[in-house]
Amino acid sequence: MSNENDQTTETPEELKFHGIVAEFDNVDDVVDACENVRDAGYTKWDAHTPFPVHGIDEAMGIKSTLLPWLVLCGGLTGLGIAVLMQWWMNAVDYPYIISGKPLFSLPACVPIMFELTVLLAALTTFIGVLALNMLPQWSHPLFRNERFKRATDDRFFIAIDAADPLFSADKTKALLAGTSSLGVEDVMTEANPAPFPKGLIYGGIGAVFLTFVPLAIIAKARFSTSDKPPLHVVWDMDWQKKYKAQKVSPFFADGRTSRPQVAGTLARGDYIAEEDMAFHTGVNLDGSEVTEFPIPVSAAMMERGRERLGIYCAPCHGIDGVGNGMVALRAERLKANPTTPDSSTWTAPLSFVDPAGAVMTQTIGKLFKTITNGERTMPAYGSQIPPEDRWAIILYVRALQKSKNANFAELTPEDQAALRGK
Amino acid sequence: MQDVLTPDQIREECQLGDDSRAWAGRVRALGLVMLAIGVGLGFSAEDEFAKFFRSYLTSYMFLLSLCLGGLFFTMVHHLVSATWFVAVRRISEVMAAGFPLMAVLFLPILVPMLMGSHSLYPWTDHDEVLKNHVLHGKAPYLNVSFFAVRAVIYFALWIGLARFFLKNSTNQDTTGDPTLTAMMRKRAAPGIIVFALTTTFAAFDWLMSLEPEWFSTIFGIYYFAGTMIATFATMTLTLLLLQEKGRMKNVVSGAHYHDLGKYLFAFTFFWGYIAFSQYMLIWYADLPEETFWFDIRQSGNWVTVSKFLVLFHFIIPFGGLLSRHVKQNKAPLAFFAILMLFMHWVDMYWLVMPSLHTESIAFGFVDVACLLGLGGLFVGGFIARLRGNLLAPVRDPFFKDSLHFRQPF
Amino acid sequence: MTNTSATDSPKAGLEPPALVQGDHDFASVTESVCRVVEEKRPPTIWFAIFGVALAALLMLFGLIGYLIWTGVGVWGNQIPVAWGWPIVNFVFWVGIGHAGTLISAILFLFRQKWRTGINRFAEAMTIFAVMCAGLFPGIHIGRVWVAYWLFPIPNQMDLWPQFRSPLLWDVFAVSTYFTVSLLFWYLGLVPDIATIRDRATTKVRQVIYGVLALGWRGSARQWHRYERGYLLLAALSTPLVLSVHSVVSFDFAVSQLPGWHTTIFPPYFVAGAIFSGFAMVLTLAVPARAIYGIKHLITINHLEAMNKVILATGMMVGYAYSVEFFIAWYGGNPYEKFAFINRALGPYAWGYWTMALCNVVSPQIFWWRKARRSIPIMMVVAVLVNIGMWFERFVIVITSLSRDFLPSSWGYFKPTSIDVLMLVGSFGLFFTLFLLFLKFLPMVAIAEVKNVMPQAHLKKHHH
Repeated sequence: MSNENDQTTETPEELKFHGIVAEFDNVDDVVDACENVRDAGYTKWDAHTPFPVHGIDEAMGIKSTLLPWLVLCGGLTGLGIAVLMQWWMNAVDYPYIISGKPLFSLPACVPIMFELTVLLAALTTFIGVLALNMLPQWSHPLFRNERFKRATDDRFFIAIDAADPLFSADKTKALLAGTSSLGVEDVMTEANPAPFPKGLIYGGIGAVFLTFVPLAIIAKARFSTSDKPPLHVVWDMDWQKKYKAQKVSPFFADGRTSRPQVAGTLARGDYIAEEDMAFHTGVNLDGSEVTEFPIPVSAAMMERGRERLGIYCAPCHGIDGVGNGMVALRAERLKANPTTPDSSTWTAPLSFVDPAGAVMTQTIGKLFKTITNGERTMPAYGSQIPPEDRWAIILYVRALQKSKNANFAELTPEDQAALRGK
Repeated sequence: MQDVLTPDQIREECQLGDDSRAWAGRVRALGLVMLAIGVGLGFSAEDEFAKFFRSYLTSYMFLLSLCLGGLFFTMVHHLVSATWFVAVRRISEVMAAGFPLMAVLFLPILVPMLMGSHSLYPWTDHDEVLKNHVLHGKAPYLNVSFFAVRAVIYFALWIGLARFFLKNSTNQDTTGDPTLTAMMRKRAAPGIIVFALTTTFAAFDWLMSLEPEWFSTIFGIYYFAGTMIATFATMTLTLLLLQEKGRMKNVVSGAHYHDLGKYLFAFTFFWGYIAFSQYMLIWYADLPEETFWFDIRQSGNWVTVSKFLVLFHFIIPFGGLLSRHVKQNKAPLAFFAILMLFMHWVDMYWLVMPSLHTESIAFGFVDVACLLGLGGLFVGGFIARLRGNLLAPVRDPFFKDSLHFRQPF
Repeated sequence: MTNTSATDSPKAGLEPPALVQGDHDFASVTESVCRVVEEKRPPTIWFAIFGVALAALLMLFGLIGYLIWTGVGVWGNQIPVAWGWPIVNFVFWVGIGHAGTLISAILFLFRQKWRTGINRFAEAMTIFAVMCAGLFPGIHIGRVWVAYWLFPIPNQMDLWPQFRSPLLWDVFAVSTYFTVSLLFWYLGLVPDIATIRDRATTKVRQVIYGVLALGWRGSARQWHRYERGYLLLAALSTPLVLSVHSVVSFDFAVSQLPGWHTTIFPPYFVAGAIFSGFAMVLTLAVPARAIYGIKHLITINHLEAMNKVILATGMMVGYAYSVEFFIAWYGGNPYEKFAFINRALGPYAWGYWTMALCNVVSPQIFWWRKARRSIPIMMVVAVLVNIGMWFERFVIVITSLSRDFLPSSWGYFKPTSIDVLMLVGSFGLFFTLFLLFLKFLPMVAIAEVKNVMPQAHLKKHHH
């Protein structure tokens, strides 16, 4: 309100006519009035009530909103996102095998499918209600009207906009005055509303651009390489106060962090008593190779040896020990094929049974050492085959050797007769 | 809906016509014939009626659902002091009054068991039980005598409750005494507790023990969920049919159908939720002692039936009943009601049959015969009972409010 | 006027009671609720409770700092009981939140008008309870700074979350629940905040409430969309609230642990959640209505209705206990049988019997109408139910873990003082937020209450 004594040079606001508003104090009157306004054909008008009045939608001719359709779309979008997300992330991009469940497990995906459907539908509902209602709209000419404050309390209003094509100052006022309203007033609005502050607009645009900065930084980091060490914000337990095995130690004279064993150290289970030395190593105490079997020789032991040879030795040496195992055969095939990479490191496995071969004259102790420690390109089988089984294999190897180098005179009379064909 | 109808005119509308007597008779006759055919087929199958008993049980549990659901709806109505559904309450009361018939129809299941038949429930076979450590442990519960005693208790309680609510409601038609409403409201809560326990254990006894090594704590609720879907579908169809025949035209309105549609939707969702919980939890833990039950239902042709259930018992009706248009229009609503009734029968079939046909579904005419047979007897009885009473509780204190029911949203 | 025609019947005492008691009109309803927000100084008791709550909250913050700095070992969690009080507290708080959504959404769909006196209250309670709930999983992960790994955001390891885990379903379910509840609550608040805005006398209040009210002016066209949106959110919240506690129950039920792996868990947990939630609503509503003088809006009939719901859901929980017990025997699994006997007779028997007495026995008193309408009795029962429901989660989580398949792995769990103080602190968080809500926001849904008063209904038939 301008004061005559006011020295400030504030020009009185220029006001412009916006429309008229009528006040009512009960629901029946306002609904009746709405029907009149609706029947008169006005379009740019509204009723204002402290709570939704049932029946006012029909009285005003308000059509059903399309909000439910938007929400349906939102929900279906959520459902689609959930399915795609779970499928792509857990079954395609980085497949996880979890307790034998299928990579894309529909039963396990259902809960999140449901939640995202509801979430997107609810967000659409909320944003939809606000957007369709064109809220927030903090400024409205009706707020200038003192009476209108009771619109959110206990009074009901009808407001007709002057921009309505049917609006005419006297006719429209008369229409409203003819209803049981408590009063009809003009609604004024600013003639020259202040423009939206440019600063806010620029600030808003700037803020939007700023949000892209972190994304850009991440993108750059993702798609480029660097020779600098990464930023380590949370150390977790990444740098621990201890020396690692291959690092230099300032403490020991030889500079090694990883220390050798003290002489005479034995691993648990490695202790071998003197009387067991021959059995476990194939070498006697005096250093000579074992020539007598340290295990009882029997048909059962022979059978065990046959079985074990078939498992461990036959792949290279063949089941009859001539050196024609599957591995050897394949290696020869590869060697013969000019297109395969260089196989010059391949050494053919030795034959056990060749009378002129090296193995034929080896003692069983030597054979034992070969099996235990390996020889040239043959790997050590000591960790896979227990000592007893190794002796059993050697027993069977001896049997194979005998079988390919048998002497007629050593056969029994029955076998000699059988061979002669009698 | 006109306010100008006189109370006597309303009474007129709420009575079945004279031709209903003939209809009841015809339907019952069809039922008996079909049942006889079913028995004949069962005899000729030479499997000691194993298939027949299961066909019978499937349709039996289906129809029992309607009685149970009617009883539950009636009691909940009183519990929450509902007013707008008064107009349709008589239908559910009459549905619940079918228990005596169902008790009689239970005899073909119970009597053979008492006479030593093992064809239906494996645990009735003493030799098998002795060999099987797990079944042996359950023998104190799963034995024929206790089974029979429990069945008697269930029916006694159900018949008692149904009778209480129907009798008081029909008495009110003549006396208009409001204290009857107060009394029914008071008895509703204890009634519901009795209902919950008896229904759960009946489902355990009659359905779950078909495969006695299996168990699921949610099974009773699963059966209940299906029951309610079938009940709302039946109530909807009954009212639609009655209105087709010119009855209840000014009593039941689009608003009531909309609500029935909403309940159908809600319980479809609820069924899906319960069925999913049961399936997913058993699938996830992957314990063979539980998964074998679903395994059977995913083997051979059964997997098609299972998918059919998911699609037509949940997904399609969920989507369809979401729409306001469907719930407010008679033709689409009737379609979904019929669909849900059919699917509930399929659900029962899916629960029962795999206990016999473990590899693949083997549908036979005996299944149809039992459905039409038992169904005919049930529907005939239902018509007869509707005939014997007014179709709505016209002197319920809130009947008038119910007539004016409008959907607020 | 009793019209005794052929189809009319007197209603003699069967009519539902008035929702707003006494001779009130719209203005007095506005006044009753807004007065609380507008008064310069809240009642002294508000300060007293707020002081205690704030102290507890600050203690909670301190303890959380200590926890994150030192590690999860400050709790009593050990092997085999790797899930201890934090998870029990999480489930407890999430459960309490459910009553708010039930009152807001489900009772709305069932057209139960009496919900309007308490729904604002209850929705606020939901939001704060879910915040307290979300706190515990957030801090119990140990390395809180990598919590973002729980979400499907690209990370430095090129890994995605494991969606087949119920713990991840929880992340989605609880986040969704919080978001949707917040949106629903805020949407409901907008018209009421507008009411306060229009009554505001100071510039500060005008601006703050004005901004929050989004310029709401009660336009009927806006009300139309608002109503549809409200209905849709109610319709969405209903299955959501069922799903959230079901997903929480999946945390346990998908396992193979005896006592945990049972198919009835989802509906059983939901019933239990509603049970404990209503008890908490009562615990808050009874004092608030007395202190703030709104007994005419939250009437004794509202309280009685809530007590009936407590009785009903308590019976559902009892049903679940019985069926679980029966099937534990029926199923024949010796581990399952042992689990139940162990609960009742083992080292945690004291917890089990507390739970049984509080949950099953104490609500039975509500069969009597006098008890349902007695303030002291309902307060006692409400507190007992809350205690009982905390113990139910305790019994489920801890007894099953402490004694499962292999006796050599059994172990007895003892909480540390940090466990106990954090639970107390979470109540501090809850009450601080709730008291702030009472002070600054309208605690009753003014517009919704007006909507169900007789003056809001059209007397004449209109076209």
